[in-house]
Amino acid sequence: MIPVAGADMAAAAPLETPPVRATSLLRRSLRLWRTRIGVGLVVLLVLLAIVGPFVAPYGSGTFVAAPNSPPGKGAAFGTDYLGQDVLSRLLDGGRSILLLAFIATAVGLIAGVVIGLVAAYARNAFDDVLMRGMDVIMAFPQIMLALVAVAVVGAHPWVIIVAIALTTVPRIARVARGAALPVVERDFIACSEAMGVPRWRILFGDLLPNTLGPLMVEASLRMTYSIGLIAALAYIGLTINPNDPNWGLMIRENQIALTFQPWGAVLPIIAIALLTMGTGLIGDGIARTAAGIDRSRGAE
Amino acid sequence: MADISRRQLVAGAAGLTIVGGLAAACGSGSTSTGIGGTNPGAPKRGGNFRLGVTGGGSKDIMDGQNIITKPDQARLVSAFETLLLFDENYQLTTNGLAESVTQDNPRQYTIRLRKGIEFQNGKTLTADDVLYSFQRIGTKANGLTGFAATATMDIAGMKKLDTYTVRLPLKSPDATVPQTLASYTFCIVPAGYQAYPHPQIGTGAYKLKSFTPGAQSVHVRNPNYWRGGGKPYFDQVTIVDFSDSTAQVNGLLGGQIDAMTDLPAAQVQVLQSRGMHALVSKTGGWLPLCMAIDIPPFNDVRVRQAMRLLVDRNHMIEQVLSGYGFVGNDLYAPFDPGYLTEPQRNQDISEAKRLLKAAGHQNLNVDLHTTNGAAGMVDVATVFANQAAAAGVKINVHNDPNYYGTQYLKLGFSIDFWGTRSYLNQVQQGSLPNSPYNETHWPPKSGTGSNFISLYNQALATTDLAKRIEIEHEMQTLEYDIGGYIIPFFNDLIDGYSDKVKGLRPSKGTLNLDYFGHGFSSIWFG
Amino acid sequence: MRARFRWGGVSRFIVRRLVLGLVVLFLVSLVVFAATQALPGDPARAILGRSATPTALAALRRHLHLNQPVFSQYWTWLTGLLRGNLGTSLAAQEPVTTLLGPKLVNSAVLVAVSAIVSIPLSIALGSWAALKRDKIFDTVSSNLLLVLAALPEFVVGVVLVILLATIVSQVLPAISTIPPGSRPWNYPSYLVLPALTLVIAVAPYVSRIVRASMIEVLESDYIEMARLKGLPERTVMLRHALPNALGPVFQVIALNLAYLAGGVIVVEYVFNYGGIGSAVQEAVLSHDLPVVQTLAMLIATVYVVLNLLADVATITVTPKLRTQL
Repeated sequence: MIPVAGADMAAAAPLETPPVRATSLLRRSLRLWRTRIGVGLVVLLVLLAIVGPFVAPYGSGTFVAAPNSPPGKGAAFGTDYLGQDVLSRLLDGGRSILLLAFIATAVGLIAGVVIGLVAAYARNAFDDVLMRGMDVIMAFPQIMLALVAVAVVGAHPWVIIVAIALTTVPRIARVARGAALPVVERDFIACSEAMGVPRWRILFGDLLPNTLGPLMVEASLRMTYSIGLIAALAYIGLTINPNDPNWGLMIRENQIALTFQPWGAVLPIIAIALLTMGTGLIGDGIARTAAGIDRSRGAE
Repeated sequence: MADISRRQLVAGAAGLTIVGGLAAACGSGSTSTGIGGTNPGAPKRGGNFRLGVTGGGSKDIMDGQNIITKPDQARLVSAFETLLLFDENYQLTTNGLAESVTQDNPRQYTIRLRKGIEFQNGKTLTADDVLYSFQRIGTKANGLTGFAATATMDIAGMKKLDTYTVRLPLKSPDATVPQTLASYTFCIVPAGYQAYPHPQIGTGAYKLKSFTPGAQSVHVRNPNYWRGGGKPYFDQVTIVDFSDSTAQVNGLLGGQIDAMTDLPAAQVQVLQSRGMHALVSKTGGWLPLCMAIDIPPFNDVRVRQAMRLLVDRNHMIEQVLSGYGFVGNDLYAPFDPGYLTEPQRNQDISEAKRLLKAAGHQNLNVDLHTTNGAAGMVDVATVFANQAAAAGVKINVHNDPNYYGTQYLKLGFSIDFWGTRSYLNQVQQGSLPNSPYNETHWPPKSGTGSNFISLYNQALATTDLAKRIEIEHEMQTLEYDIGGYIIPFFNDLIDGYSDKVKGLRPSKGTLNLDYFGHGFSSIWFG
Repeated sequence: MRARFRWGGVSRFIVRRLVLGLVVLFLVSLVVFAATQALPGDPARAILGRSATPTALAALRRHLHLNQPVFSQYWTWLTGLLRGNLGTSLAAQEPVTTLLGPKLVNSAVLVAVSAIVSIPLSIALGSWAALKRDKIFDTVSSNLLLVLAALPEFVVGVVLVILLATIVSQVLPAISTIPPGSRPWNYPSYLVLPALTLVIAVAPYVSRIVRASMIEVLESDYIEMARLKGLPERTVMLRHALPNALGPVFQVIALNLAYLAGGVIVVEYVFNYGGIGSAVQEAVLSHDLPVVQTLAMLIATVYVVLNLLADVATITVTPKLRTQL
């Protein structure tokens, strides 16, 4: 999955009218079927991840039957490569991915918004410096940076969070800056400055609310990508605990038995697929709503 | 070339006897095969045999006397050979380059080469090559795997008696020299030999034609191979590196390779359902959990004993090996005549808890390090951690990619992998202070067990088998009571091959695929 | 007068972007070198693995000259890079160029094949969907593409393996190991699944951009004019709409080519394809510094260059942006 910055989409359908407030955007986007389906999927999987460990029939490390046994014998979806219950491991395996992805995206989002807004507001050499810094980070594919980071320090959760957050920051910053630039030129900003409103108030009180549309789209794109990236890192084998009930790791470990015990790999694939589809649908719903609002505004 | 007949190693004045094993198939087809095979018939010439191996990478080497990974092993045996050989029951035989190896007295061996063996460049194998080979291994700066085994040899004092005879004096008595001469990295190389990228000329069945480390190597038939009788059979052998077993298995199923090493146990039925075969060899290979006896909390012998009681050995075999293995008893070298089998240790959680409490480590929390060095290393750690949880012991498993690169011999608790070896040979490799791979930091420096080294030296010097077994029993009793290894099982080596490949037999030895089809010389396409 | 000013603006822009690109690359080289120098343990240990006895280590270290001070290593490396000397792989002890050359070719072929399929496909899909906006084709395709776009590449890859190589059918090979010494175009069947995975990863995004861009163009005045003039729809599309819609598309295509270079890392792993993706992982794990550094700089350069091209292309093709220069 190749993420495209929201700014590129905005370039195709530029916002030339005043941006919409966040809550009304969200509310309106929920009217679309796709957003509802997306929210439904995400909620379902988040519940699975949270409640799962408590309803799992076995512990994720318990030896249930011979390795790679087909469904039956007390294991609803059979056993995995070590004889552990596939269903239980699926139920246990969502937590780490979701938590890591959420924290990493949130950290990247916050840092990226700050940087992007500051750069847009500064509009001078400082802006250039910040954006060049962002370019340096963006000169690598996200996964490459994560690979090197993990290889240098080890596959600790905090390393993965930092690596993903770090590569999320410039992409968010670009979008934030792109959305903030037209707003910065507007009169009410100049007014606030004249009135002596402190800078941080201007940034977060005036600029931020007006950039939330594209930011929300980008944030959901980033979330989708973070989930995929964390699963990919586990799939490659870069985890601390080799028996972690982690969906990406499950696919890796059970792929070899695909031809006679597919559930060990297929169930986590379905889970990851549904989750990323959900976040993708949400983002698309918000984007369509924003574009729809602009289109209807433009016709007025 | 002359047919090789059965020989016995002649007992010297000291009375040492090693029984000659079955001559390796020479010139005639073998009738036994791996699981699911049929009578292969007479060997046929031709074809390009492609072998898939994992564990290698851009650090692949080719050296007749050194290996790092399994692909290196495969390449080594394709071109280089040893003086003596182990047969499929891990018994010493004189089917190698030496016509005989006799122990004249406890401190001297005489090696007689077969006459008329030529290297792949036409040069005849002589005593000069033997001298150079020993010197190369015995030079510490070369960093070769066989160096530790030369500790008792007086290589500087080696003498060429005539073109085909060498005298090997020893610094101290050592009855394990023949086993050293049969270990697969102790090959004979031509005088002046150096590792790849220099030309690789050995006495073996296939000559190196091209080599891309991390990718593949191509070896062509040596028409001058000394065993004769039509050997070797393939026109060419290609050894291909794979990054993981999934790719290997898919390659085998798709016909891109003809055989693979280290088939995951789960895939045995897959192969068989597609008309292919799994070669299951009941080897003495082991994956120990190693507790360093001088690092807390394992410096308390009660903790070590408790940990050994936590293991459910049969479950381990089922989970990690899918049943392909046999129970271990925390001792190594199961095929050695001196191997101690009683009493068999079993899981005993309550006793383990009692011991831990007595040692003051009721809720023990330790780190266990492992890596993907060999099939099952990570799984052993994982399953042990799960089993230990039943006794309230928390084990944090770390799968380190940089495992062998950093701290591995300094770790308190780690996993490692070993192949089949005889007892004294294994002690020398892993249980002495100057061993290259002593993970447990055995033996204790004082108190019980501190006489281990002197017992070892005694055993080396003892040529009477019964007496040697007695000493070995004493040594093993020490290791059984207070040692640092947890050895839950001995794992089978499982390899896969297509229906076309004939001549493979299960072997108890150290290397996969029956010593890679004896250096690819005793297998063919049928 | 105006025309000259406009052209001068474009070339000044290009020069400025070029300089900035070089600055970025320089900073990247610092980061790359620092990060790889900070790898724990020393390369000799990592290479030797289990056989890392003190004697073997000393021998290897001596052999590989690992004892120079850091700054002189950086300087030698940087100057060597610029001269085209990419160093010697620590593990394989071969020049990096020899080692990576064939792998680079493999990856380039895979990326090229994927791009050749995905770009026309996505332009066609996007344009058609824009034309038939809100009708069935549009709705179905955009939903399908959205769903595909969200999936991680390795999931797409494994699912394709399940569908086409192992469980559901076995028409294609499950792995794509190109024997070294041969070229990927000699093994076309090996390229199919990895390329298909990459196409599925890239095409949805590009086509959605094309669609959005095309919609905007189709609603603009001069298209109305063209239609009113009675021009056939096909001429309207090809002669008027498409060229104007392609502005941002160039940028996105270039970016996606760059993203393909990243996606290649995981996809090559799934199919055991011998390109730079698998080379990155192996080099990172075995601390093969020269290879890691070269690959990092290579990928970074690709990105920077593609970004540059994308920006330049967008500027030249989109008139209104030029006036802002």
